[in-house]
Amino acid sequence: MNSSLPRTILSTISPYSLAFKRQKLPISTRVSGPVSFPSISSIPSSQKPRIPLFLRPPIFTTSLSDLQKWQQWANNLALSVGSKFVDSDNGPDTNILCREVKWLLEDAVEDKSILCQLVSPENGKLVKLRADLDELYCLWKQRIEERRPFQYIVGCEHWRDLVLSVQEGVLIPRPETELIVDLVSGLVLEEEGLREGIWADLGTGSGAIAIGLARILGDGGRVIATDLSPIAVSIAAFNVKRYDLQDKVEIRQGSWFEPLEDVKGELAGVVSNPPYIPSSQIVGLQAEVGRYEPRLALDGGENGMDDLLHLCEAAALMLKPGGFFAFETNGEKQSKFLLDFMTQKLATNVHNLEAISDFCGIKRFVTGFRR
Amino acid sequence: MGFFPNLMKTLYSRSLSLPQNSRRRNQKLSLLISSFTESNKTLIVQTTNSQSTIRSGFRVLKHTLAFSSSEIQTMKVPASFHGLLVPSTGVRCGFCSLAATEPRTSDGLTVNGIVAGRWPILDENEGDWKSHAAAIAQSIQLIKKRLQWKKMIVRLEMLSAELNKADLWDDPVHAGKISREHGSLMGKMKEVNRYERELLEHIDMLKLAREENDGELESESLRALLMMRSSVKEKELEALLAGEQDSCSCFIEVQAGAGGTESMDWAAMVMSMYKSWAECHRYGVTVVDEMPGEIAGIKRATIKVDGEYAFGYAKAEVGVHRLVRISPFDSANRRHTSFAAVAVTPILGDTSSHFQINESDLRIERFRAGGPGGQHANTTESAVRIVHIPTGVTATCQNERSQHQNKAMAMAVLQSRLDQLEMTRQAQLNAQHTQSLTEISWGNQIRTYVLHPYRMVKDLRTNYEVSDPDSVLEGDLDGFILSFLSASLDKDKDN
Ligand SMILES: C[S@@+](CC[C@H](N)C(=O)[O-])C[C@H]1O[C@@H](n2cnc3c(N)ncnc32)[C@H](O)[C@@H]1O
Repeated sequence: MNSSLPRTILSTISPYSLAFKRQKLPISTRVSGPVSFPSISSIPSSQKPRIPLFLRPPIFTTSLSDLQKWQQWANNLALSVGSKFVDSDNGPDTNILCREVKWLLEDAVEDKSILCQLVSPENGKLVKLRADLDELYCLWKQRIEERRPFQYIVGCEHWRDLVLSVQEGVLIPRPETELIVDLVSGLVLEEEGLREGIWADLGTGSGAIAIGLARILGDGGRVIATDLSPIAVSIAAFNVKRYDLQDKVEIRQGSWFEPLEDVKGELAGVVSNPPYIPSSQIVGLQAEVGRYEPRLALDGGENGMDDLLHLCEAAALMLKPGGFFAFETNGEKQSKFLLDFMTQKLATNVHNLEAISDFCGIKRFVTGFRR
Repeated sequence: MGFFPNLMKTLYSRSLSLPQNSRRRNQKLSLLISSFTESNKTLIVQTTNSQSTIRSGFRVLKHTLAFSSSEIQTMKVPASFHGLLVPSTGVRCGFCSLAATEPRTSDGLTVNGIVAGRWPILDENEGDWKSHAAAIAQSIQLIKKRLQWKKMIVRLEMLSAELNKADLWDDPVHAGKISREHGSLMGKMKEVNRYERELLEHIDMLKLAREENDGELESESLRALLMMRSSVKEKELEALLAGEQDSCSCFIEVQAGAGGTESMDWAAMVMSMYKSWAECHRYGVTVVDEMPGEIAGIKRATIKVDGEYAFGYAKAEVGVHRLVRISPFDSANRRHTSFAAVAVTPILGDTSSHFQINESDLRIERFRAGGPGGQHANTTESAVRIVHIPTGVTATCQNERSQHQNKAMAMAVLQSRLDQLEMTRQAQLNAQHTQSLTEISWGNQIRTYVLHPYRMVKDLRTNYEVSDPDSVLEGDLDGFILSFLSASLDKDKDN
């Protein structure tokens, strides 16, 4: 894996993501059952989140015409890609990349309204930037030449109505996952017990689902978010704080349900988007994913279901009667397998099992209730 | 910029030329009012009257009146009736009519009479009172025409009849809608009635001052007339945008006609013309949807234009825009004609008047590269397309950065389009509009832009033309918009 990385990129990746890749390797070779890590109670203080571009102070200045030159250069690079990436691994095409140029500019300038003047820049007019122009050149080069994900370049991902800080070491939340919040929001509207209860988001990553949930729960509702990765924990904490939800979302570091012993049998809901990609498919992943996103967030073991199986079994015990669970899966095969598994092995504990499709009609989620 | 006043917001706050607390003036006015005899005609007073104080110490009694058409036509009020203005000492106002018979001065002059008299209208700073009065009377007449006065009266009757139905509030949503529209029509009509009365009062006052050789009062009245002249002139413009949806924000959609790259390039030029126009007028502009052409330009695009009266103005642009030029995409340098169609839909603020969309009638499509998706894929593409199955109306948004936001925006576009469709349907039911549905959504050819062999932009509806296409393409559209708006309202023979 690492050997396929160009040298230049290695230096842009935080050491933590590499560390996790290594850590995870032995896990992915395991035969069954997740390996539990000992819960780490204190969060290492060195995990300082990087500030996303759009939140950095606009302390750099450049001329509008230089910015225009950058834009032309960036668009030309994007044009040179054509459908090359699409053909090789379903990566981005020119259209998408050109839109990213626009968004990168939007995040980088202090005053967005200036961007419409880029077509015919007034001579000598200056712009305030949140990153040095040289850095912008460097960033866009990384995007095109090294396939560094756009979201890591700008340090954020727009997800639902949220703008979440992300960086190497944390999975970039996927649009499919937005639906988990929608599923829950339908339920909590109807059921007070769910609306005002304690929810768990396991493997919270950037905190996306946890924050999404916290904003739809009632005044009494709370979310406990867990992750094994210290960097995920610190980024999630950063995002929770940015949405001023410290009172509603508690972040705990540890493996799956381990940090939740104190609320066993009391949870109103459990949601998770655990790693579900079969180990063997990790090498063939789209460059942006395989080269940059943490393996710990992707690799679900030999058939991709190591963590999912553990979550299904444990959720049945952790939930209170009537409690709800929703897990994201790799699609049709995994969802079907998990439904069969629960129907056969866990029917005394869970019911109303369902496989729910994502927006592409792929059965992406399994859901159910504790009896 | 001056073309775009913040219109109706100021409806009541900027009352026209009410007496500026001059005690002497008040005395005189009460003289006039004392000759007011209450009409003995019974009117149905619908709701309680709320009183609002106007700067001068007079109050306007705001009744919501409801009466039938026969009453409007047959109401006979003594010539001396002067309507709304009563001193704040609490004289009971028997009714405060809108459509009451024409107000007159003490010697029988009416607004229409003044217009018919064709008094010469001189420049503001050299005019005598007659010139001011004639200018004001003319403005009032124009405002009435633009408001479609006669239709307004008919509509008001209809609404009043509805409001009088005993079972009205069985359907509170409908009732709310009716009473809001009724209230807003009443507001507009009352305002015009007030101008009429004020004009005549000023004239009365002026004549009185002359009779009594009161020079101070005379010059004060003259000043009041002059002030009124300019503010009524402003109202002429506002009256162009008195339609129910005119004050809304809107979506503007441009689609390239047949003809490949040349027409896609033209569509992009048209879109950028509207972006500049909107930005010039300090409207918020957001690109909602943009489908680029393969080589240049756009196949279609939609922008959201945020701000007061965006729809009122932009609706004048609906239709097909034609370009004649030497195409830069033709290596043989031939002259080409291309077309771009423009649609404009209002974003209704009042959600109760929204077309009800059933979730189950929607097909929501999201664009995604092939492959297994989920954790396997990293993409910033999160376009959403929504199809309203029963009508086939669709909306696409791909310029927001999350799918959730794209969906919300696409829903807003869809809502706006369905609202428009519904309004058209309603209008056809009411038989008030004769335009066909296609005419409303895409329209006929409205304007030609010629860049070669000569240079000109000409509106086919108004014949308004400009010899500098560049300025127009850079967004200077106000001349076209206003001439169309006034032509479409002013030519209406019925009013
Ligand atoms: C696919 S990511 C999902 C992140 C986030 N919930 C989202 O949807 O964007 C899986 C997450 O699970 C975390 N994870 C992996 N193994 C874990 C374990 N044993 N216990 C807790 N979290 C784990 C990873 O660190 C990663 O953040």
